[in-house]
Amino acid sequence: MKPEKISKTIEKYGNDREHLMLILRDLEVQSGKNVLDVQTLRSVAEQMNMPQGAVAGFVGFYTMFKTEPRARFVIRVCKSGPCHVMGSTNVFDVIQKHLGIGIGEGTKDGLFFLEKCECLGVCSVAPAMMINYDIHGNLTPKRIVSILNSYKKKKPTLKEDCGKEVDGKACVINDPKQMKRLIADVGVVDPLKIESYMARGGYEALKKSLKMEPAQIVQTVKDSGLRGRGGAGFPAGVKWTFVTKGPHQKYVVCNADEGEPGTFKDRILMEENPHLLLEGMAVCGYAIDASLGYIYIRGEYRRSIERLQRAIDQARQKGILGKNIFGSKFNFDVLIKEGGGAYVCGEETSLINSMEGKRGYPRFKPPFPGGAGFNGLPSNVNNVETLMSVPMIIGKGADWYKAVGPQNCSGTKLYCLSGKLNRTGLVELPMGSTLKEIINVYGKGMAKGKKFKFAQVGGSAGGILGKDLMDLPLDIDSPMKKGVTLGSGVVLVCDEGTCAVDFLMQILSFFEHESCGQCVPCRVGTAQLHALVKKIAERRGTEQDIDALVEKATVMKKASFCALGQSPIMPITTMLKYFRKEFVAHCNPKHKCPQCDKSLARYYSGRGH
Amino acid sequence: MDTIQLTFDGKEVTGKKGQTILEVARDNGIDIPYLCYHPRISKTGACRICLVRVNDTALKPSCTEPAANGMKIDTEDEEIRELRRSILGMLLAEGDHNCLYCEWNGECELQRLCHRYDVPEPTGEFPKREREVDTVSSNGLRRNENRCILCGRCVKACSEIQMNSVWEFTGRGSATTLTSDMFDRIGDSSCVKCGTCVQLCPTGALSFQTVLGRGQSWELQKESSICIYCGVGCKIDFYTNKEGVLVKAMGNEQGPNEGHLCVKGRFGFDFVQSDKRLTKPLIKKNGKFEEAEWDEALGLVASKLSEIKSATGPDSIMAFSSAKCTNEENYLMQKFMRAVIGTNNVDHCARL
Repeated sequence: MKPEKISKTIEKYGNDREHLMLILRDLEVQSGKNVLDVQTLRSVAEQMNMPQGAVAGFVGFYTMFKTEPRARFVIRVCKSGPCHVMGSTNVFDVIQKHLGIGIGEGTKDGLFFLEKCECLGVCSVAPAMMINYDIHGNLTPKRIVSILNSYKKKKPTLKEDCGKEVDGKACVINDPKQMKRLIADVGVVDPLKIESYMARGGYEALKKSLKMEPAQIVQTVKDSGLRGRGGAGFPAGVKWTFVTKGPHQKYVVCNADEGEPGTFKDRILMEENPHLLLEGMAVCGYAIDASLGYIYIRGEYRRSIERLQRAIDQARQKGILGKNIFGSKFNFDVLIKEGGGAYVCGEETSLINSMEGKRGYPRFKPPFPGGAGFNGLPSNVNNVETLMSVPMIIGKGADWYKAVGPQNCSGTKLYCLSGKLNRTGLVELPMGSTLKEIINVYGKGMAKGKKFKFAQVGGSAGGILGKDLMDLPLDIDSPMKKGVTLGSGVVLVCDEGTCAVDFLMQILSFFEHESCGQCVPCRVGTAQLHALVKKIAERRGTEQDIDALVEKATVMKKASFCALGQSPIMPITTMLKYFRKEFVAHCNPKHKCPQCDKSLARYYSGRGH
Repeated sequence: MDTIQLTFDGKEVTGKKGQTILEVARDNGIDIPYLCYHPRISKTGACRICLVRVNDTALKPSCTEPAANGMKIDTEDEEIRELRRSILGMLLAEGDHNCLYCEWNGECELQRLCHRYDVPEPTGEFPKREREVDTVSSNGLRRNENRCILCGRCVKACSEIQMNSVWEFTGRGSATTLTSDMFDRIGDSSCVKCGTCVQLCPTGALSFQTVLGRGQSWELQKESSICIYCGVGCKIDFYTNKEGVLVKAMGNEQGPNEGHLCVKGRFGFDFVQSDKRLTKPLIKKNGKFEEAEWDEALGLVASKLSEIKSATGPDSIMAFSSAKCTNEENYLMQKFMRAVIGTNNVDHCARL
């Protein structure tokens, strides 16, 4: 690429290292071949005054970038839990048949390049794929072919053109029995118009906040009992108090790197009600004395990025973001940062490294982000759902908020339903709803009248729930007592047709792919776990291999640097708790398992699997 | 300075506020094993070998965990021993660690720990990723990444000590590798061959060209001296083999250089043993150099200098001396020029 073109792009975003992700993304689109070649990268490093190694390391970390030419359109087929269960192997089949390419291969005409990827966040319409930045769900052979054909005359752009089926509104379950708080305005508010949000009482909570003392706001959030909705469940108000006080710059960081397979709640919230997030961030900013907020959105969520940017622009125009908001002394602005395809960046310190234009390695704690976060300054990191809960807490009070849900896990929870149900999508229910209720009432029971086998709750890092846990309240604390977790609220339901080994293989390949590689137990452990389960799926395993899964994952649980490496133990032990027999059966070389065969044939073929 | 009291394995010790557990342990001569930590670079916390038990409950990486007053530390128990063994076993399985062929045999920190924790040989059941082996592109450094444990010391040595940032990690997870600059070979990169990465490397992944085939590490003899190239006065450990051949120069951590060397200190001493060195004075006779005795050579120089001085004056003579000479020698040189020749035309190569 010509140096002038590169310098123009750098100028557009600014030549600080923190803008590297956006610059590279733009350059990749401009390349027309979805490539960041070495010559371009050298030029970027030189013009941004960065070590070449730092740029090479950055590009190598984020899976959306490649240094080898691909094609005008990269097809990324999701193979994470929900899509896998709903038949992503078939999607590979159809594409392979139609285009004649395997994973890591491109068509001769330079139009398409096939990759496998992890969760795209449209799990209720699985199986799904992403073509450049356009996400398409509900894939059937016929649809796949017609979608592919529609790209013949398209040009690569940064603007998304997603299918209608992945529309946020369309992914919400419409059932009057829900308790709609967070999603009350989804489908009612026009996400493209700030007036529509304000007409529904939007930004009133911010106005009210600005008349309160910051400490009062923190206390209200504490009183509400709101706990982090990203998965860890840490009390939000308490976290806010960890932000170091003083005259220095502080930041509100919104973690919108929704990567836990099966989770799509934040995407819907951001796409359908972006102003609610801005309002929540502004209230938080006022409470912790931060004048700047960042939303770190995963790179796959193009539509969220676009809609939030539009919302930010509108809010700035109205003076709701900027200086002296609503005539107060409070200044606040929001900026967007993007991800590049790295699950680990959902870990708050990895996220901060990524925001700074670095490899998404987690940082050791202490110091915690509240003391030293983005650019070494105090930063409060909260999940989208958490921040969006703040305006209603301020608006309606802590008592109103905690009137719903168990004592220690108050409020509602967004549950993301996917898998073999008659109805999938997002539901909002009081915290602590049971699997039985979720499946029978909101999922309308098992699809095609098949029998329930297990559900994975909490995403790939979550546990497997069998029939015995149907009545377990899915709040933050109760699942922990049973060795499982609520996590981000994923409820992926599998029927009797799902092979436990095949399912676990898909989870463990996910962890190997997403491990950052910094610490030894996770880097080597995830690879060994994947190799072990693959061996069992290939029916070359032994019972010792089954035990080795638990042993390795235990070492990882005890010794890994961050939550990613500490997680695989949960799906492994809970899966073996119910289905060890199935694993043992797979240790017989004569055992037949068409599902494992299919996964082994599809996911592990092609030049770049 | 605020002090804190901690117990390590029942022994009471004193540390300074702000130190990590490992720093307190090192100051007090308490042994906690580690691989990614190095006192000269910032903390990483990645190898997880230095996990210790804090207050009878949590396992914490001692290299990053702040020490606190009243902490009770157990540096090792059965569980920790097992974890260290498992982690070391993972490292062995991930790479290709064959000490027979490794020039760092005997000095390797991984080898020492595997020995200490009785780590079984890897079974070979797990697939390995072939990583870069480059022994030719640089005339100073060798790289065999199959022996790399991705501890990151080289990355930080380069960016934090040498401030050159040649090394960086690229790829991710089990596919993580090192890269020098933009996926270049080390010899084609902007490496200045200071060798700091090699000095900090805990295994034989990075090495010097001069080491292989010149004797096993335990056969080498170490002599410490001061570098002659500039005024910093870096302390260097010179290692020679049984034949007396210089094998490698390592920065001495006690010197003002704290272990760091530049390319001259690292690789600039082969001249000492060069067969091209003059051992006898030569005098050009009939257009050819011929060996001479010192008396004859010095007599010739003295007579020529006297000739020049009487013919054109003392200021037509100038002397340069060298940083490689001692202070005393340099003093004598200027004294000779001023007192005997009678000129102030004195200079030094470091000004060039």
